[in-house]
Amino acid sequence: MSSTDLRPLSVAVDIGGTFTDVTLQDGDTGRAWTAKTPSTPHDPSEAFLTGVRLALETAGESAARIGRVLHGTTIATNLILENKGAVTALVTTAGFRHVLEIGRQDIPRRANLHAWIKPRRPVPPSRVFEVAERIAADGSVIAPLDEASVLLAAEACRAAGVEAVAVCLLHAFTAPAHEIRVAAMLREALPGVAVTASVDVLPVVREYERSLAAILNAQVMPAVSTYVRRLEERLAEAGIAAPLLLMKSNGGVAGAASIRRAPAVTALSGPAAGVVGARAVAAAAGIGKILTVDIGGTSADICLMRDGAIALTQRGSVGDWPLPLPMLDMVTIGAGGGSIARVTREGALAVGPASAGAHPGPACYGRGGGFATVTDAHVVLGHLPAALLGGRMRLDAAAAAAAVQREVATPLGLGLHEAARGILAVVDSNMVGALRVVSVERGHDPRDFTLVPFGGAGPLHGCALATMLGITQVLVPPAPGVLCAQGLLSADLRAEFSRSVLPGQAADPAVIEAGFAALTAEAAAWFAEEGVPEAARRILRVVLMRYAGQGAELPVPWRGIDAAGDFAAAHRGLYGFDLPEGRAEIVTMRLEAAGALPIAEPAALPPGRGASASGSQPVQFAWGLAQAPVYDRARLGSGDSIEGPAIITQLDATTLLARGWSAAVLPLGALLLRRTET
Amino acid sequence: MDAAPATTCNPVTLEIVRGAIRAAQAEMEALIERTAMSAFIREKKDFYTALFDAEGVMAVGSNVPVFGDICGPVFRDFPAATMREGDLYWYNDCYGSRGAVSHSNDQVFLAPVFLDGQRVAFVMGWAHFADIGGLRPGSISPDATEIFHEGVIIPPTRLIEAGAVNHAALAIFYRNCRYPRVAQGDARALMASVELGVLRMREIAARFGPGILADALRQLLARTLTTVRDRLKQTFPVGTWRFTDRIDGDGHGSGTLRLRFALTRTPDDRFILDATETDDQSPGPVNFLMNPDVPGMALGLYFLGGDPTQVVNAGGPRALDEVRLREGSLLYPRFPAALGMRGLTMMRMLAALNGLVSVAGGEAPAAHAAYVIILLRGSIGGRPFLMSDGLGVGYGARGFADGLDGVYFVAQENYPVEFLELEYPVRLRHYGLHRDSAGPGCWRGGCGIVREYEIMAEEAVLAVRLDGVENPPWGAAGGQSGRPGRVLVNPGTPQERGLRPLSDGNRLLRGDILRIETGGGGGRGHPFDRPAEAVLEDVLGGLVSAEAAQRDYGVAILGRSVDAAATAALRANPPAMRAFHRGVYADVLD
Repeated sequence: MSSTDLRPLSVAVDIGGTFTDVTLQDGDTGRAWTAKTPSTPHDPSEAFLTGVRLALETAGESAARIGRVLHGTTIATNLILENKGAVTALVTTAGFRHVLEIGRQDIPRRANLHAWIKPRRPVPPSRVFEVAERIAADGSVIAPLDEASVLLAAEACRAAGVEAVAVCLLHAFTAPAHEIRVAAMLREALPGVAVTASVDVLPVVREYERSLAAILNAQVMPAVSTYVRRLEERLAEAGIAAPLLLMKSNGGVAGAASIRRAPAVTALSGPAAGVVGARAVAAAAGIGKILTVDIGGTSADICLMRDGAIALTQRGSVGDWPLPLPMLDMVTIGAGGGSIARVTREGALAVGPASAGAHPGPACYGRGGGFATVTDAHVVLGHLPAALLGGRMRLDAAAAAAAVQREVATPLGLGLHEAARGILAVVDSNMVGALRVVSVERGHDPRDFTLVPFGGAGPLHGCALATMLGITQVLVPPAPGVLCAQGLLSADLRAEFSRSVLPGQAADPAVIEAGFAALTAEAAAWFAEEGVPEAARRILRVVLMRYAGQGAELPVPWRGIDAAGDFAAAHRGLYGFDLPEGRAEIVTMRLEAAGALPIAEPAALPPGRGASASGSQPVQFAWGLAQAPVYDRARLGSGDSIEGPAIITQLDATTLLARGWSAAVLPLGALLLRRTET
Repeated sequence: MDAAPATTCNPVTLEIVRGAIRAAQAEMEALIERTAMSAFIREKKDFYTALFDAEGVMAVGSNVPVFGDICGPVFRDFPAATMREGDLYWYNDCYGSRGAVSHSNDQVFLAPVFLDGQRVAFVMGWAHFADIGGLRPGSISPDATEIFHEGVIIPPTRLIEAGAVNHAALAIFYRNCRYPRVAQGDARALMASVELGVLRMREIAARFGPGILADALRQLLARTLTTVRDRLKQTFPVGTWRFTDRIDGDGHGSGTLRLRFALTRTPDDRFILDATETDDQSPGPVNFLMNPDVPGMALGLYFLGGDPTQVVNAGGPRALDEVRLREGSLLYPRFPAALGMRGLTMMRMLAALNGLVSVAGGEAPAAHAAYVIILLRGSIGGRPFLMSDGLGVGYGARGFADGLDGVYFVAQENYPVEFLELEYPVRLRHYGLHRDSAGPGCWRGGCGIVREYEIMAEEAVLAVRLDGVENPPWGAAGGQSGRPGRVLVNPGTPQERGLRPLSDGNRLLRGDILRIETGGGGGRGHPFDRPAEAVLEDVLGGLVSAEAAQRDYGVAILGRSVDAAATAALRANPPAMRAFHRGVYADVLD
């Protein structure tokens, strides 16, 4: 990263289902150029490079001046969600082959015991093989590793034709020697097969969750490796010698080498990039406390951030599976523009989680979709312009009205507009519930935050969500539909190194210090691999603590003294009480390592000459029909302001400015919406 | 002139209110889960929440069909009209609540919600406390013969009066617990959760107005009632439908005990559930003081199915016009009969209700085994310990899927092996699915569990509860019964001994091996109709042995594949089948 002066260009690539978006930025001047090209699902690296070339042409720049290539990928996510990863086996301690199948032995709290079906595991019991060995809870060896049994397991893997193997042995997080040895033997015996040891992904207690992490990692490893290699080859062919950095679920990027080792860390790559982008936009506007809501076609991702700090959770999940890798503390709900509204047999209005997706999509897309979706409700009420994507995609308002009438209005005995408003009220309410969960449940009052809506549908809902939450300020990013690029361009290199602490040792600060010393060494090796200069290295030591007996931990920064006091304060803040009689204990040490990358100052928008509407259209507000002026965002300049109600259109999103709200264009292009009446 | 406040909730607002209540419930549950102290709550997650209307009628419950009328018992001593903002009520009194709580370990915390001085709702937090005193650590013991053996009894008590906590009541309670600090932590977590629920419900009432909230709750109740009523009518033609199920006994020599249910639909569409023919109560603690609301709640849960827009609430119980129980029977025992091990009777009650649906021609799941619990107490390094470990079982096959393998119950999780070994003086030698325990069927039952412990404590005393050994869970529509479990000490050695499946006082020493095998669920449909490839997958996965594949399913396995020719020959003459199966096929179970 030291040659930024010679190679000041950064390029960020975001591959979507339809388009691949590329942003090229000059680190010296802050100038940016974008390019859009159709995605190439058969080989995404094709569009990747086409887009990069296009962007270079637009900018009149040369490939040799590119200093880093940044990319957020949904490959791992999709493989996990669709269970389409490599054919994988699990190798585990003898006597425990069904741990994965049993899971946590429960029927989920919200499930109906008569109707629930256990999700099919990514590895069936017939592909779980046992090795003879046993380590005790304190790390001592009860039974040595029987290497002959490892060879038998390797043979069974070969016979089953697996492409990947995960290894998870009991108590390996305390004493990894057996697991490391088994992984090494399997690698030797099974050339070309991707092998993952659980401790390399997630060295913490609880065998079911750790097995899953290892399996998901192994399962996506071949495809991610191949993908990353193809990208690197393509870049080399194009004369781009810059390092390829990929976005991880933790909101940081990492080099291709470390991603190849632990590809599961990219499971939330896409949503994380957006959140980091929102953080950058907020920081540029001088705003520290944000609630982000990323509304796409099928889901909404919601996240809270204070002072630009990235809050991590190890209680996350991907699809049906818990994945306790450190990831952005996000909540995802099944509510988006394509969410389907329907009336149940009992007369209840339900919106989502089923989605019309991109094909056939909402009725208004005119692709034969007959469902009434959230987007259709917006069309019925006049919230959207007659065409999207700069005129390339016309919306069929009649089809939208017919769908909302048939699917919702008629069955409920409501008027068309009332039904459309009902659909939006329900979906907004679901999102508000999730926004409350990430704020109130974490001890914060949402009213102290600025809402940052993004994703194609986000800015349509910003004012409504803010009003319901009592939030008075909404920040709409310059390009809400392609915020991932912004996130990639502003991300740090990040990695976490964690270790469980045995109950008997938790009270001894010397043990904790020694543990952190070991984690620091691991981090140093990673910094070196990523080429992070000393001055750019930052380290945060965190201990995850609980009262002895509790089931969940709270992260507390490790100061070396009075961790118990810090923990009690955090517990009070979050749950409203602490337990003076309780014994606070450290369960996990986590070292969060960040390597700062040079971030360009974004170029400022030219000053505006007063906003002028490009037209107007009728909008059905709850308070009545009104003719709302329509503004083209590309023609707004810094300092321009608009009073609601108004519609502000741009290529990738539409902002609905409600009555009682005003919008101001900030110097760097974001829109700051403020509530003017209460 | 002011307009009267709106009191009709439209369908849109109803959905929003429902979502808001669900979110409040999720928040309450998260708080309990993260802050409770006992492993019973934090890992096993034996806790629930519910919201009630201003009159105490359950409007949004949990997907666990064991709740009766929660608020009624409190109202008897503390009429709703006398309640004030900041009050919190508490009880665990089984007989005093007519079975709303059915064993004393379960603590109920209940608080009224007020908005501007008007009572608008009630909020409940409920959790199983690991020990509340009594005969043996863990408070529930197969040895108990009176409820007084099962820990301290808390009648409905005003624990907090307008914000002032009755510390004396808590101190007396904690003094009666063997692990007071844990009990204190759990009580604190539960109280904080209820406080949070009160706050949220008040916000909801303020946001929509008390009138709209009341109407929303009324509509949720009516919706569930209508759905359950309609499906009862679709399932049960006019007439009387009978089903009998059995538990193995009370652990005190009772022998098999029968639960006899008769559901009558009268020509004028009244639904009457009659359980008066059920056997007499027993000295052992398997009596299940069944609140009359419980069977309706359970049938409601079945009829609501997996539809997430449905809400389990008092609409279920109201769908039944009458529930008849006989005092002195297993389902309506007289004070002070012991109740601690009622779980196995309760689980059998659920299976019997499925049986009623089945005899009427419905497609209810075949029978499940009753979840298994062990309590191991002893000392390690001079300090006492109590390990309550829940073991999953096999659930019954459905008309659309196999029974669930190795599941305990709704919302209750296992102790991970690594957690167990870090926390307790035991080491696990084996934890897996119980091969060949699943009841064979076109849809097979679920497999039970095998869990094998090595005792690391100097010595320990074991209580175990495992039912369905003599009367395994039945299969339906040609499916066969699940295969039973057992409890062994030092299996495969000259010192091997079997333990009585419902017993306490079993002494174990360091180095002893305790092996528990739990039962599988009943199958559904003729096993010969199960696709051979599915049988093969079960064999390769260690769920079914090759011998059982041949014997029960008529599938011959050769290496890692199906021997098609041999299978065709085996399946040429499928054995005759009948409506039910428990050990043997039968038209009627008794």
